[in-house]
Amino acid sequence: MAEVETTNQSILVVGGGMSGITAALEAAEAGHNVVLVEKNPYLGGRVTQLYQYFPKLCPPNCGLEINFRRMKLNPKIRFFTMAEVTGISGQEGDYDVTVKLAPRYVNEKCTCCGKCAEVCESEIDNPFNFGMDKIKAAYLPHEFAFPMRYVLDPTISGTEEGKKCKEACEYDAVDLEMKETTFDLKVGAIVWAAGWDPYDASRVEYYGFGEYKNVITNVMMERLASPNGPTGGKILRPSDGKEPKNVAFIQCAGSRDENHLPYCSGICCLASMKHSTYLREQYPDCDVTIFFIDIRALDRLEDFYTKVQGDEKLSFIKSKIANISEDEETGDLLLEGENTNTGEQIRTSFDLVVLATGMVPNKIEIEPSPDVSYDEYGFFAYDPEKTGIYGAGCVRRPTDVASCVQDATGAALKAIQSIARR
Amino acid sequence: MEKNVNYDPSFAQEVFENVDAGEEIKMCMNCGVCAGSCPLRFNMDYPPRQIFQMIRLGKREEVLNAKSIMLCTSCYTCKVRCPRSIPVIDVMHGLAHYAIKQGILTRRDTANFGREFWNQVYRLGRIDEKDLPRRVFFAAGFIEGIKSTLKYLDMGLKLLLHRRMKLLPERKIKGIQSLRKMLDKAEKMGKGGAAA
Repeated sequence: MAEVETTNQSILVVGGGMSGITAALEAAEAGHNVVLVEKNPYLGGRVTQLYQYFPKLCPPNCGLEINFRRMKLNPKIRFFTMAEVTGISGQEGDYDVTVKLAPRYVNEKCTCCGKCAEVCESEIDNPFNFGMDKIKAAYLPHEFAFPMRYVLDPTISGTEEGKKCKEACEYDAVDLEMKETTFDLKVGAIVWAAGWDPYDASRVEYYGFGEYKNVITNVMMERLASPNGPTGGKILRPSDGKEPKNVAFIQCAGSRDENHLPYCSGICCLASMKHSTYLREQYPDCDVTIFFIDIRALDRLEDFYTKVQGDEKLSFIKSKIANISEDEETGDLLLEGENTNTGEQIRTSFDLVVLATGMVPNKIEIEPSPDVSYDEYGFFAYDPEKTGIYGAGCVRRPTDVASCVQDATGAALKAIQSIARR
Repeated sequence: MEKNVNYDPSFAQEVFENVDAGEEIKMCMNCGVCAGSCPLRFNMDYPPRQIFQMIRLGKREEVLNAKSIMLCTSCYTCKVRCPRSIPVIDVMHGLAHYAIKQGILTRRDTANFGREFWNQVYRLGRIDEKDLPRRVFFAAGFIEGIKSTLKYLDMGLKLLLHRRMKLLPERKIKGIQSLRKMLDKAEKMGKGGAAA
């Protein structure tokens, strides 16, 4: 597995999301050897979990497909899934990197016939759908997964069930002997594109996320609307599976708040407006209310804001909601706050509440940490003194996919320049 | 609210200089979470956010005469939740204190209660559950005092029954002198809190 030859002319890209894929491809297409490592069993990152992009409302799959094809055609890229960087030492032009590979228990002979999943009985929370449904412990991460290959959960690898999966496989693809392995790489420059995590909404305790079933987050909404999501693309209330009639979006749920994330994540306003189009398309009678502090639809994205404002079933109310309480019988949610345009008190019931949570950057969490600069919020800061490791995408600033692609292209150029200087 | 407003910074400047935590209102971004969190919001004429905004507008009389600045019970919910870390209760108490200093007594009983509470803590180091209401009730005159006493008779009996109130006068706490030193210092440090 680890027979990967690299030199100090090679580039390592950490993170196989849209930013990482872009940086890797741009560098490889400029003629450099690139190694891409991704923690998940599939490439594509959080983009694979989206239903549609804003503002064009097109599905992300086609863009991903194009990139995966570019990747398959390019012999300069090696990529590893279920891989994590555990050590970085050295300096620009001469890094020693340790990569840990978690066992997948399925080798490259897998044809995705699904026989292992048929015989497998135990189920696990589906991480792809944020635990909103269960999947078999022998599973394909999602239907567009790249690489298209099953995964065996470690909970069944050493059990009788694991053996049953192995016996069911006609292609000898299940390998229960796989172990965690590590390997070392020598690279000249590193692009850190480890992406972001949604802010833990349960920490905004007055919104009751985790306690009230019908309070969900924006990333969960994306899965609910997705045809390969837990409900097959129908947006339904988690508590009783009913169609929502009256939905509230709470902007800045833990953002622009010194008790949580002090910064604006920049995308949540547009994401919620996009979600309102999902709802209004599925349910022509559904009322949608977006509670906001300020709507931040920057630049050309303001056109989308203007467009959705034309929808009479969608209303915008300037208020940071201060409290949510649940009606235990119906699962409906009472929202309280102040309409800061009119000064009126708000006490309104909704049957589904979506929290627009922000982005938390994935910093380099390796001991000892390589020498990089962060800003006060934990995003990569530009520091001309510190070269060799470059952030790309949402580790540099919270932003949308299109900007990530641009940013990653810039990061690839920085990495190439770094190597050229040696 | 009016559509066209003229901002008059003079009152805001007065607040920044004279009111405890007054400068903190500069941080307010008008999200309204204080108003939505306040347990007394239905009794307030203006929620904290509107008070802050009125200060910026220069509405001196409305702010200093507002009932809401006297109503804060120090539950701390707004201060904990404020996304800009404004100590909302400190500002509200500071405004109440400043209003009283200016001779504005919108809620005379609240002001009396605050003063008596402080005096009693200063004298005894604790609250005497008979003496404090007596002083507050009878401050408005003898007849009013009898009326208020009868109104709260039930509560008094319950307090007695649950031994929350003693028949004998409360005694001073040990080390009252040290407590007084602390209170003196606190009074010197701030521009003034709840106690007038």
